[in-house]
Amino acid sequence: MTRWLRWTAGIVLTGVPLLLAIAGPWLVDGSPTRKRAFSSGADHPLGTDFVGRDVWQQVLLGGRTVLLVALLATALAYVVAVPWGIAAALGRRRFVDELLMRPLDVVLALPSLLLLLLLATIAPSGSLTLVGIVALLNLPGLTRIVRAAALEIGSRPAVEAMRLQGEGWWRITVGYVARSMLRTLAADLGTRFTGALYLVASASFLGVGVPPDASDWAVMVDRNRPGLFVQPWAVIAPALLIVALSVGVNLLFDRVLAARSRSDLRGAAS
Amino acid sequence: MAGLSPGRYALRRLLVGVLQVFAVATAVFLLTEALPGDAAVALAGDNPDPARIEQIRRVMRLDQPLAERFADWLGGLFRFDLGVSLVSQRPVTAFLTDGLAPTMLLAALTLLVLVPVAVLLGVVAAVREGSPLDRAVTTVSVGLHAIPEFALAIVLVAVFGVQLRWLPPTAVGVGDNLLRQPAVLVLPLVVLLARPICSISRLVRAGMIEALHADYVRHARRLGLSPGRVRLRHALPNAVAAAVPQLAHTTDWLLGGVIVVEAVFVIPGLGTTLVDAVAARDLPVVQGLVVFFAVTTVLVNLVADIVSFRLSPRTEVVR
Amino acid sequence: MTEVVVRVRDLVAEVGRRRLVDGLSLELRAGRVLALVGASGSGKTTTGLAVLGETPPGVTVSGEITVAGREVGPDRPPRPGAVAYVPQHPASVLNPVRRVGGVLREIAERHLPDPPRSRKARRDMVNALVADALRRAQLPADRDLLRRYPHQLSGGQQQRVVLAQALVANPAVLVADEPTTGQDAVTRAEVVDELRALAADGIAILLLSHDLDVVRALADHVVVLRSGVPVESGPTDRVLSQPDNEYTRALVAAQPRVAVEPTDPTDDREDGTSQDTGRLRVESLVAHHGSGRRRRIALHHVDLTVAAGECVAVVGRSGSGKTTLARCIAGLHTATSGVVSVDNRALAPSLRRRSRTDLASVQYVFQDARGSFDQHRSVLDQISRTAVRLHGSRPADAAEAAMAVLRRVGLGEEHARRGPHRLSGGELQRAALARALLARPGVLLCDEITSGLDTLTQQGILDLLAELRATTAGTLVLISHDMGVVARLADQVVVLDAGHVVERGPVAEVLATPTHPVTRALLGAPEREPDELIAR
Repeated sequence: MTRWLRWTAGIVLTGVPLLLAIAGPWLVDGSPTRKRAFSSGADHPLGTDFVGRDVWQQVLLGGRTVLLVALLATALAYVVAVPWGIAAALGRRRFVDELLMRPLDVVLALPSLLLLLLLATIAPSGSLTLVGIVALLNLPGLTRIVRAAALEIGSRPAVEAMRLQGEGWWRITVGYVARSMLRTLAADLGTRFTGALYLVASASFLGVGVPPDASDWAVMVDRNRPGLFVQPWAVIAPALLIVALSVGVNLLFDRVLAARSRSDLRGAAS
Repeated sequence: MAGLSPGRYALRRLLVGVLQVFAVATAVFLLTEALPGDAAVALAGDNPDPARIEQIRRVMRLDQPLAERFADWLGGLFRFDLGVSLVSQRPVTAFLTDGLAPTMLLAALTLLVLVPVAVLLGVVAAVREGSPLDRAVTTVSVGLHAIPEFALAIVLVAVFGVQLRWLPPTAVGVGDNLLRQPAVLVLPLVVLLARPICSISRLVRAGMIEALHADYVRHARRLGLSPGRVRLRHALPNAVAAAVPQLAHTTDWLLGGVIVVEAVFVIPGLGTTLVDAVAARDLPVVQGLVVFFAVTTVLVNLVADIVSFRLSPRTEVVR
Repeated sequence: MTEVVVRVRDLVAEVGRRRLVDGLSLELRAGRVLALVGASGSGKTTTGLAVLGETPPGVTVSGEITVAGREVGPDRPPRPGAVAYVPQHPASVLNPVRRVGGVLREIAERHLPDPPRSRKARRDMVNALVADALRRAQLPADRDLLRRYPHQLSGGQQQRVVLAQALVANPAVLVADEPTTGQDAVTRAEVVDELRALAADGIAILLLSHDLDVVRALADHVVVLRSGVPVESGPTDRVLSQPDNEYTRALVAAQPRVAVEPTDPTDDREDGTSQDTGRLRVESLVAHHGSGRRRRIALHHVDLTVAAGECVAVVGRSGSGKTTLARCIAGLHTATSGVVSVDNRALAPSLRRRSRTDLASVQYVFQDARGSFDQHRSVLDQISRTAVRLHGSRPADAAEAAMAVLRRVGLGEEHARRGPHRLSGGELQRAALARALLARPGVLLCDEITSGLDTLTQQGILDLLAELRATTAGTLVLISHDMGVVARLADQVVVLDAGHVVERGPVAEVLATPTHPVTRALLGAPEREPDELIAR
């Protein structure tokens, strides 16, 4: 059954890299020893990398930063975009809306990866900078989604009915408007997270925001490229893990959304 | 908005585009000011020697007042003069003209293949909704649509370039006229196409399915129009109208993807130039490239908005 | 007698084990109009679709259907174009991205009686066919119309374009599904007019409607459906004037009729409250829509005085400003100038600046009852908030008070504890009334609260409003386009047109002797004599 197959594929593809990323650093014993670069041997199942470190050990160590930076950036984007979009949508004056939304258009005028490179040129390098930049890049799109949802919800008679009942700002905005847009936001979460993952990994690959010898899957792909002919696993293993993670997360979120809309249909029919 | 004519809409949209470019140019200029501490010191790198700092200060004219430099920067944009590189003292425009051909070739070829293939896949999947073919197309497109280009590229290179030796793994040694050896282009194009084909074919499929189930399509059949005609002339325009804005968005990705793909396949285009400049903290070159890319992106969005305004007359796209 | 175009015998439609249509038989002749009458869910649309050879998903159909001498079934649709279908919402069958003319020509191309070789001759024939269809659908055959997109047409024009599309295909039968629902009286008269002209052209018309006025004006023959079972059938005059069946009698009785007996229900209140000050006073109210260059005026210096316990109806065509007036009174729309006062206390134009007492004094019931509730919280929970916020009650007391009001509008505990999605449209409208009543308002505004409900549910709500009027001293402002509703409930009527008050007075007087053309149009349209319609 294909539905079952897609669930399994999603879970396996997400699960393996996720497990390695989270548990990996605890499985590493001892400090990294250095051997000859791009060699292979019995004690190195995947060989050694461009500076002679064990590739398997690097694989275990290299997932956590990518994952963490992507997660934090996604979370930060939501934390900023939700109040921002709601404020723009429900503001009483037109110019407040303009004032809040127009600056975001500047961000949209540039391809994300380009803007990332530009900002990385001037910002101090480091993981937290990357979190900030990736969150910023997600801001315009997310804020627009929130604003559009809030505009639709805010114009429902339910809001006017609540105002006639004398309900306060908090109850209307947080209790109703924000509450009602949770579904829209949940539907966006999967693509938002894989998008962040994409940016973080691509930036690391291009050498932005990470030291050149960092234990990081994307950096491994870049740095071990010269050894592609002699020691391909040093490149392919981390590349496959990144591919698996982004494919798996997408499949999984797609399944969850599909299952939910099916149960909605059933609910509506009963 | 029923009253807005396409001409006036285009004019209004153009104005917004110009403002956007101006805003980007200003923001890019101000980034120099945002550098922590002395900009010249910050740009000189990890081991700054006084002569280098002095040179940067002179080239970027950091000793001049801000307003004057800003006026010069804007004036330079109009004369197509974007300053000189901090590293090689070459004019930034020379970098642009050198790298333009390979990058534009990649982008143009990608778009040329992308649109017909994505529309065809979307339509076929929609017409056979629920069939094994449809399920295969949707599953693959859901999975692939957010894969980072570099990871996909490396896997493909390892398989087709290193293991099977069917295709050249990089473009090293081909020079900047890539068409002399078209085999070099195959893997970069496949990598560049992967994401946009997925996202656009999904949109076309969704739009097409919605249109095929719409009352107006059922009604057209009742009136005796043939199924093929109904699909082509009644359902497809609606499906494509829904996908056009995404096509513009894709070109944004494409420019980003080109940067990565050029880096992976060692193609001497604008992307490689940019990555090198970022690594060398060569700010004038980075600024010039960013403004160039911004103009391109704004133009593409402009065209897409005007096209979708014509295609779906109801939309009120005001940015 | 003309030939029989549609013959249906023993039609049965089922979803699972539930019967949507149960043993319906009918015969329809060329040039005649047959009406299927029944409340929503009575199987009208299923029957209409069956004649088209279509079945909704999950429905199985059996029985014999013949259209123009050809047997029709799920796998055997009628000859393309033989059955024209005009749906309830014409906008949904018009392709949003195709111009009117392009689609008409495309259909004409397909239905050329015998296509000539040369391209020019072909094009001329197509254009002639289109022009003829436009004329018969009472549309102008100018290029401007043909170049438009559906969204650039008015609702009436959209319906006529759908009609023209059908006529190009030269149909023998026209199935019109609720063609007048949600339209104001003037548009309704136009629809009746169009359909009548088509019948005169020899097209058989199957009218699916719950609007008895339209049925009376159009149909030769009526079949009454109750939950899919045909309970009565016969000539229109007989069935609607002397119904045999109990259900038909209920339907006819539920129809709000324009009664012009000069009884004056305000008699007994004349002395009690001072008529000169009034409970609700609106003075020189001016309101606008939009801003900047797109700002346009919606109300021109409107005055209104309503005494305590009185019911005033504000009527007008859609877009006349009647809803804006109500929203200005409630503070939902900020008036540009003018004063709204309740019991001689002026209210702030914007809701935000009104005190709790002021909020409680004016309450508003929305047309869209479902949209006016939060889908995530129970009905009781939401209603009791009125007492918590406006009267400062403790939550427990508020819930008790809310329950009392809910019981008064005819809803029990089992309804109140549910989420809004599990209540029917009529039940939700009652709940919305309860929410407003809990505030103990001096003025209650009801905006088209019965439109969109079927006749029997509508009847229930109107009964409730009448009862509330009798038992409370509240003042009621009724926004409506339905003169039947107005005649039943209101004491005074105010007619708005393009933001101006064009007529006002006691209901009996205005209905008996309307002076303004708009009032006459609103009032007269469904009551017009058939001969008069043809003469136009």
